Amino acid sequence: MSIILILVAIALIVRIAMYFGFIKVKGDNKKPITKKKDPKAKTEIGVRTDVDSRSLKKQLFTVMVFTKLNTKRFFRDRLAQFFSILFPLIFLFVFGSLSKGGSSVSFNVAIINHSQSSFAKSFVKELDNSKIFKVNKNTTTLSEAQSKLTKSQIDGIIVLPSNFGANMPGQSYPSGQAKVLYSENSNDTGSTLTTVLTSEFKSVNARYVNTTQPFTATGEVVKHKSLTSFDYTFSGLLGFSIIGLGIFGPVNVFPELKKQGVLRRLHTTPLRVWQFFLSTMLGQAITGAIAITIQFIVAIEVFNLKVDGNYFDIAIFIILGIFMILGLGLAIGGWAKNERQAAPLSNIVVFPMLFLSGTFFPRYIMPEWLQKVTNFLPLTPVIDGLRLLTTEGKNLTQVGPQLGLMAAWFVIIYAIAFRVFKWE
Amino acid sequence: MKVKGLKKSYGNKPAVNGISFDVKKGEIFGILGPNGAGKTTTLEMIEGMREIDGGSIIIDGIDVAKNPRDVKYIIGVQPQAAAFQDKQRLTEIIEMFAAAYGERVDAISFLDEVQLSDHASNFVEELSGGQKQRLSIAAALVHSPKVFFLDEPTTGLDPQARRNLWELVQYVRDKGVTVIMTTHYMEEAQLLCDRVAIMDSGKIISLDTPKNLIQQLLKRGFTKKQAVEKADLEDVFIDLTGKALRD
Repeated sequence: MSIILILVAIALIVRIAMYFGFIKVKGDNKKPITKKKDPKAKTEIGVRTDVDSRSLKKQLFTVMVFTKLNTKRFFRDRLAQFFSILFPLIFLFVFGSLSKGGSSVSFNVAIINHSQSSFAKSFVKELDNSKIFKVNKNTTTLSEAQSKLTKSQIDGIIVLPSNFGANMPGQSYPSGQAKVLYSENSNDTGSTLTTVLTSEFKSVNARYVNTTQPFTATGEVVKHKSLTSFDYTFSGLLGFSIIGLGIFGPVNVFPELKKQGVLRRLHTTPLRVWQFFLSTMLGQAITGAIAITIQFIVAIEVFNLKVDGNYFDIAIFIILGIFMILGLGLAIGGWAKNERQAAPLSNIVVFPMLFLSGTFFPRYIMPEWLQKVTNFLPLTPVIDGLRLLTTEGKNLTQVGPQLGLMAAWFVIIYAIAFRVFKWE
Repeated sequence: MKVKGLKKSYGNKPAVNGISFDVKKGEIFGILGPNGAGKTTTLEMIEGMREIDGGSIIIDGIDVAKNPRDVKYIIGVQPQAAAFQDKQRLTEIIEMFAAAYGERVDAISFLDEVQLSDHASNFVEELSGGQKQRLSIAAALVHSPKVFFLDEPTTGLDPQARRNLWELVQYVRDKGVTVIMTTHYMEEAQLLCDRVAIMDSGKIISLDTPKNLIQQLLKRGFTKKQAVEKADLEDVFIDLTGKALRD
């Protein structure tokens, strides 16, 4: 927790310092232009630009200035902030709440009580208080309950017949048989419900008829930490956020810049494609660091995420993930002449990853053959690696297979991106 | 700058069909012609933005076909539409363009030169058309180029902004920069350009000073249908609204 706060603080300080110009990128000051009174004497138009101005140092200076200005623009652009920070956060809340509730099993049932016996009344009350049953109290008639059952609004109906809980002639204790009604297409739920109800009765029975049970089973909590479904959800959502930053960002922006002629204008300068790419990568890494830090804070504070790994490793891994996935955005946005080309292509690339790389659904629910195939999607190693680092306590060297696969994709994706890039 | 037998075709259609011309240092050279004549294609090839199919272009001893990037360091380009990303301050745009050449500049002094220093910390989307055009010129000159290209710089500007831009172009030329421009306004070409090349269907059909071209036409016995009036509507407009620049 404290490390995250420190990261946020550093990010803020750097940002503020950049804003006020305290942090200046080192460039070549060979030709300082001082402010003079006479405007005509100011610029030295016609002076030959010497070869030195093309040194690598100067080229990197170009990258730093572009990164700085792009980051500044991000802080002024509410829409970009919404999509890179707030949007993933909304998903985090939605999916986080879903997976939080899913950890304990419960059944939605309707109870139709035809019996007037005091035992039946107290039994209904007991079910009401039970954690396993969620009793739908608005449903009182059988036909109403059955219509809800067919709509899957409830999992089953418990019917207590009129003689339920009455003392049978010659017996000193109450007895009866409850009936469980369930729908044909949810056999599993139905039989589980019956079993659960039977075991509820067993403890009741023991109160009236003393029997010894030769065989019993008890449950015991295993101390080993296992992954909660939120752990899967969270690493998946980080993957979603990386997709947003890496693909939707450039895919939405580049065609617009081409339409306005902004990129064409930049092409009249000696700006190189790699400089343009690198400054975009650094800018998105800064944006991503901020957005993902906020998600970590929310996950830890609201959803009790326990981070087992090392924050430094996680940060490095996330930035590498953003770089690799951003290559897809640079390739699509750089290739597309307009939005009409960019939108379908980005959907073709993004949707398989959204559904098959473990973004919204964990991959372990897929059939084995599908898992084997989807292992090799670009986003899969990112999400797997993030989960290993964040909640399974692994370090960077232990996610070597994931990093290797990411490196392979990085080379392929950027080779394509450089080849297909168009300035207009 | 020497252009020799320059050719470019799209598919089977020749866009530029073997044109040759020289531009002297420090002159304002106009390229005129109807739409589709090949003006923009010609400019783009000279600027190193488009591949050259045939012929050669030498600017200040550099072969554009062989070293398009080297050429970019010594030319400044002001495209037809002044395109800037919004949410950027004027100073930032100047800094960014300077950085593209690996240079760091005092942005305010450049803005001062195009009378925009009052708006230095404004966002670019707050500027008027004329102001954007001036910013665009400043951005094209951040690296002290030797040759300056303008593509239809005054299209869509009001008469005041147009006059202001003319002065700016002359001012840049007076500093020793060679200017190459295209325009659809003949009075603009006549006023600004030292020499003009008139293009049609990918060829240069005439190249001379505006004065000589007019003389040649008159020699062929041309007379205007209407006697030249002593003033025109633009004179009326300027007389009524003044020459002061509107922003």
